[in-house]
Amino acid sequence: MTTAFIQNDGTCVESVLRPGNTNCAGCGMSIGFQLLTQALEREPIMLVIPACCGIVTAGAFPTSAYGVPTAAATFASSAAFATGLATVAEFNGDDHPVVCWAGDGGTYDIGLATLSAAAERNENMIYVCYDNEIYGNTGGQRSSATPEGVATTTSPGGKSEPKKDIMGIMTAHRIPYAATLSVAHREDFLHKVRTARNTRGFRFLLMLSPCPIGWKSEPDESVELIRVAVACGVFPLYEVFDGSRFRINARPDATPLVDYIGRQKRYTRSRLDVGILDEQIKRQWRYLGTMATTFPA
Amino acid sequence: MARALVTGNHAAGYTLALAGEANRVARGCCGGAYPITPQTEIIEFLRGFQFTKGRVVPVESEHSAMGVCIGASLGGARAFTASSSNGLAYMVENIFAAGYYRLPIVMIAVNRTLGPPWNIWVDQGDSLMFRDAAWIQFYTDSHQDLVDTILLAFRVAEDKRILLPVVVAMDGFVTSHTQMVVELPEQEQVDRYLPACEVPHRLRHDHPATVGGMTWPRETAHHRREIQNAMDRVPEVLYQAIDEFAEVFGRRPVGALETEFTEDAKTVLIACNTMARTLRRAVLARRERGQHVGMIRAKLFRPFPREELLRAIGSARRVGVLDRNHSAGSGGIFWQEIAATLQERPDVLLQDYLVGLGGGDVTPEIIDGVIDDLASRARATQPIWQEAMT
Amino acid sequence: MAELTIFGRGGQGGVTLAKLIAETYFLRGMYAQAFGVYAAERSGAPVQAYVRIDEREITNHNEIREPDHVVVLDRTLIAPRVVTGLKTDGWLVLNSPEPPSAFREMFPGRRVATVDATAIAAGNGLGTRTVPIVNTTMFGAVARVFGLTFADVESALTELKFGGANVASARQAFEGVKAEHQPGTIREVTAPPPSQRIASLLDSTIGGLPALRTGSWASRHPNRRHLTPPCNNACPAGNDVQAFVAAVAKEDYNGALEILLETSPFPGVCGRVCPAPCMQACNRSGYDESLNVRELERYVADLGQRERFSAPRRDEAVAVIGSGPAGLSAAYHLARLGYQVTVLEAERELGGVMRTGIPEYRLPRTVLDREIEFVIGHGVQTHTGHRVSRGELVDLSRRFAAVFVATGLQEARSLDLGVDLGGSTHRIEQGIAFLDRARGGAAFVRGERVVVIGGGNTAIDAARSARRLGAARVVIVYRRSRQEMPAIREEIDAAIEEGIAIHELVSPVRVQENDSSLSLTCQRMRLGEPDESGRARPVPETTEDAFFDIPCDRVILALGQTPDLSIIPEGSEIRENGRLLGLAGSPVFCGGDLAGNEGTVSAAIGSGHLAALHIHRTLSGEDLFPPSPEPLAGPEAITTHVFTHAPRRRGGTIDVALRRHTFAEVHTGFSSATEGESAAEEASRCFSCGVCNSCDRCRQYCPEGIVSRDGDGYRFDYDYCKGCGVCAAQCPRGVIYMAEL
Repeated sequence: MTTAFIQNDGTCVESVLRPGNTNCAGCGMSIGFQLLTQALEREPIMLVIPACCGIVTAGAFPTSAYGVPTAAATFASSAAFATGLATVAEFNGDDHPVVCWAGDGGTYDIGLATLSAAAERNENMIYVCYDNEIYGNTGGQRSSATPEGVATTTSPGGKSEPKKDIMGIMTAHRIPYAATLSVAHREDFLHKVRTARNTRGFRFLLMLSPCPIGWKSEPDESVELIRVAVACGVFPLYEVFDGSRFRINARPDATPLVDYIGRQKRYTRSRLDVGILDEQIKRQWRYLGTMATTFPA
Repeated sequence: MARALVTGNHAAGYTLALAGEANRVARGCCGGAYPITPQTEIIEFLRGFQFTKGRVVPVESEHSAMGVCIGASLGGARAFTASSSNGLAYMVENIFAAGYYRLPIVMIAVNRTLGPPWNIWVDQGDSLMFRDAAWIQFYTDSHQDLVDTILLAFRVAEDKRILLPVVVAMDGFVTSHTQMVVELPEQEQVDRYLPACEVPHRLRHDHPATVGGMTWPRETAHHRREIQNAMDRVPEVLYQAIDEFAEVFGRRPVGALETEFTEDAKTVLIACNTMARTLRRAVLARRERGQHVGMIRAKLFRPFPREELLRAIGSARRVGVLDRNHSAGSGGIFWQEIAATLQERPDVLLQDYLVGLGGGDVTPEIIDGVIDDLASRARATQPIWQEAMT
Repeated sequence: MAELTIFGRGGQGGVTLAKLIAETYFLRGMYAQAFGVYAAERSGAPVQAYVRIDEREITNHNEIREPDHVVVLDRTLIAPRVVTGLKTDGWLVLNSPEPPSAFREMFPGRRVATVDATAIAAGNGLGTRTVPIVNTTMFGAVARVFGLTFADVESALTELKFGGANVASARQAFEGVKAEHQPGTIREVTAPPPSQRIASLLDSTIGGLPALRTGSWASRHPNRRHLTPPCNNACPAGNDVQAFVAAVAKEDYNGALEILLETSPFPGVCGRVCPAPCMQACNRSGYDESLNVRELERYVADLGQRERFSAPRRDEAVAVIGSGPAGLSAAYHLARLGYQVTVLEAERELGGVMRTGIPEYRLPRTVLDREIEFVIGHGVQTHTGHRVSRGELVDLSRRFAAVFVATGLQEARSLDLGVDLGGSTHRIEQGIAFLDRARGGAAFVRGERVVVIGGGNTAIDAARSARRLGAARVVIVYRRSRQEMPAIREEIDAAIEEGIAIHELVSPVRVQENDSSLSLTCQRMRLGEPDESGRARPVPETTEDAFFDIPCDRVILALGQTPDLSIIPEGSEIRENGRLLGLAGSPVFCGGDLAGNEGTVSAAIGSGHLAALHIHRTLSGEDLFPPSPEPLAGPEAITTHVFTHAPRRRGGTIDVALRRHTFAEVHTGFSSATEGESAAEEASRCFSCGVCNSCDRCRQYCPEGIVSRDGDGYRFDYDYCKGCGVCAAQCPRGVIYMAEL
């Protein structure tokens, strides 16, 4: 037994993403995988990963950094591949989760139609989007998940359009469970993964994933950046049940937005109007607050 | 077997369903399906079928239809779908994935012209578009050929020596929407004929492996070679499959190609699908007039049956290819393959005829014009267009 | 044609370096080619870049197998394989702080040039804190080695839009690179042949762990350390506060007590009377409220089972003069080391100021007796009622192997109030004497109006004792303001709760006696500039109403005490370590308040312990002094947001109304506390500053999953650690830090 595996109360648990993977140091996706492993408590899963950093990190055939059976899907198709896998699993008495693990490119953009269709059919899978707000694998181009004002290689002066509301889209599909995940709030993360695991149908989890290369931030600040994102309100932690009942898991405190954006050169290098972002955050929280009060979970 | 009067689409849907149902003894069947003219009746049939252990998923696009098939096949189920024309074009990325993943998926291609501009009529260009995608390709000429070849397709695809997906093509409208008499199989026969589907490299909880991750050039080249090796084994497996088919169904479907009057022919014409049936009537008429004309119906396109074709051509010195397809900047695609095959036969005059492109009715008169042109030609020339022959 | 191979890691800009070199020669009119080998473009993974230079057009697109020169951008990539195919007289340019000669063994016979590009780049602010970008710096070095001019370097940098810091950095490298032709014979290195077997998609053996050891990516590693918790740093008795609190949090009360008894034999006393500098230093006080360490110490002392220590007996006998906290602490520690200890005490009872100077409602005699009993139980001989004179001290220093003098503070400060304090009415007396009489419990102040002069603990003790003895009214007069009163804050608050009034900024001037009562004339004060104690100097008001009279029946002076140094022989002096010099014979040490300590029980305990260690080292040569402490875990070491706010649990107290009539202990501690006020809960609020408490955060948040439990601590798998630093950032108590490799 090597020391490469997580030790969990003295026993060895093989991590979903094993050491020897090629993710950058401090990658938010890696942290997400460790927390996922902790949440699953040794339950086997199958992974479907589209073209993105997530599949590249497995390394070169024939070895793989993934410790669970994994299918590399074409960029737009993870929810379709997973539909097939989940259907056959169910036929054959296998109730372990089929999990899509896709970036914002494969979720918000090229994969949106596939995602929408799988959600509309309420396919039985857990879809996790690790959102680093760029097309990370190809060097950091803008996606529809890129926030307004952020500098990327294809929006060097700062993106003109606001970030697409993928949670709103998934809510409109009235899927049984949708939630946002924070890699800085472990208990909340584990609880939501377990809730998803114990729900049937289409479950969507959105994880804001710090990318030190794309965000031009320090790798050791990855967890702290997300904590601040939650604290200043830019990344709300909440759950939506059946598209109609809302629960807010954490309220923003008085942490200013500048604590978040000041540590990422992708923000500080562009001609960004912080006031616009502030207004977007306020608007989002007015909506969430109203929904949670009027339609509580 | 039950004798029925049905459309080609009905026959195809029915046969796919029975094949899928046969796998209820193993991991079941599943596929994604998206409608497109002239294929819709197939998927409507499938969606109405009560599978014991199967599901046809009404996806939002053909790209996802193949995605679901891939997922299902990676899960170890028997997987199938159908499409045409632009649907196939939209699906192409995942068609390559299915081939490179060595998954035994069966797809019906109801041949239809690619667009836009929109054209709903028959042309083989849509299935030929992905001839490089590691799929076995069959071109059927009749309802019976279609039904029988679908069953052969599953048998060959899932054979451990092969493990490649198979596309079975039929003519849009001419076959798909035309009612003809056909012997449809019984479930019990299909159960006997098709062994349980086993995908050896499917995803299993007891063996974590990643299918499809980054692969270096050396492994990729080797992988392509393995696919070619599998393709090379297709004739052997196909004929074994036909032998087994004969035992269950009492007839032998055509394998790679079928010949008519080629033994003593000096002039041979080659065509596929329903056009080959018209060709046969034209050749028969010539024979009755004492002309030594022969014909070959091309059925297996991938792997391209070079040796069998060379034997079929025999001692003929003139070969004409009827292509209802066109690769812009070159010529007909069957012609290109046959030209490569005939490089050992520099004595043969090989001429390409582009007929019926965009779905026009190819009449015996048109074929007569082709035969006459071929017979009188001094040497081969650029592919000859139908409109240039009138 | 010349060919150059560059070895670097993704993100270091190797391809850009190739472009810069190519650009230079292009500007000189040559043909040039620059490209990288693209694989998974991940930061940190080793990548190669190539340059070709030729006078004619270049059509070769293959990777370079036999370079003319090689550059290595990352020091961790320097290995024999980098010279594979390198031509005999080719240059090997390395990013390294070492001189070329350091590589003689690895690259014999080669031309080697080195420059510390990482340090130069970092110094010029290029790249991030974790990953300095060294390419433009190396460019300067490479240009120099190839015989280019700095003008060439500048042109290329400008052409590729690299400004300021890059140019400066390149220049430093250009000027600082060191080159040498190594002695020895070139050792050929050939590339290993590719493995024969190529895996198939259909193999059942695919899916094993990747062979890549990502530990080679790291430029820094996490390490664990121990910082000194501020409570430990502040404790004058040298207690391991953090450790005993941690044991309480686990409900291991015996373990907690054992930890305390390592340094102090009087946890029950200190848990009641210590001003708790540990609590003032506690980092939690900046977050919500400091840990209630004192109450925890008391709880543990009362509840825990204490085991006597045993040690092999030594022959040497040591005399201890004075049985206060310093003397008994020294006796305890010496007895634990096996010495035969004799304690000589002038008073009738053992305990010193713990007995005479602290009222029962703060420190019940049963508690004190039990703890003294524990000390004595280690085989300590005691003689009470035995006052030691200067002459006897000299004698003792001949009869015993060592002597420890801890006679404490004997002299009370006084004040000229215009009356003779030794008068027969005893209506004006010293606080310590008053407290001694109050121990008897006699209600000799019933109905009196009492004024106490002073602001320290003795003043408060005297006032609260007077209250309990039935005084009709008790007033404290203090010349500075309440904030400057040196007494324990909680004691002052308790006094006020018990109805004692504090007249601040009032100084006594004189007392007038008449038959039945007294009149104390006072003068109002105001605060002026700080005096030598650092506190504001009280300045008398001179206005007409500055003077006023307080009619009263008793005046108690509690102005502090001074040591009686008459026991110290003439001509000898007390050194800083307590050693008394100028005496022939065995070593004599002084400690506690006699030697000028800060005046608390815990300081005295610490002083006695130190004296015991000094004596032990002098007698046996063995040095048992604690090692130099690690750096302090200040508030900047703590990540507070990880902790949930929670108020300090306070333990129980008896009702105020009851307190005035009894000397029963006011604080009842955690054992009688209401629900939700448990000791373990309070102990769980401890941040454990600088000391790992296995909270698991490092393990939970490590992106690679390479932090694993190792006993009570953690282990890092450096084979895979990428050096991201998340573990160090997530450790809330400063235990993990990143060290450059």
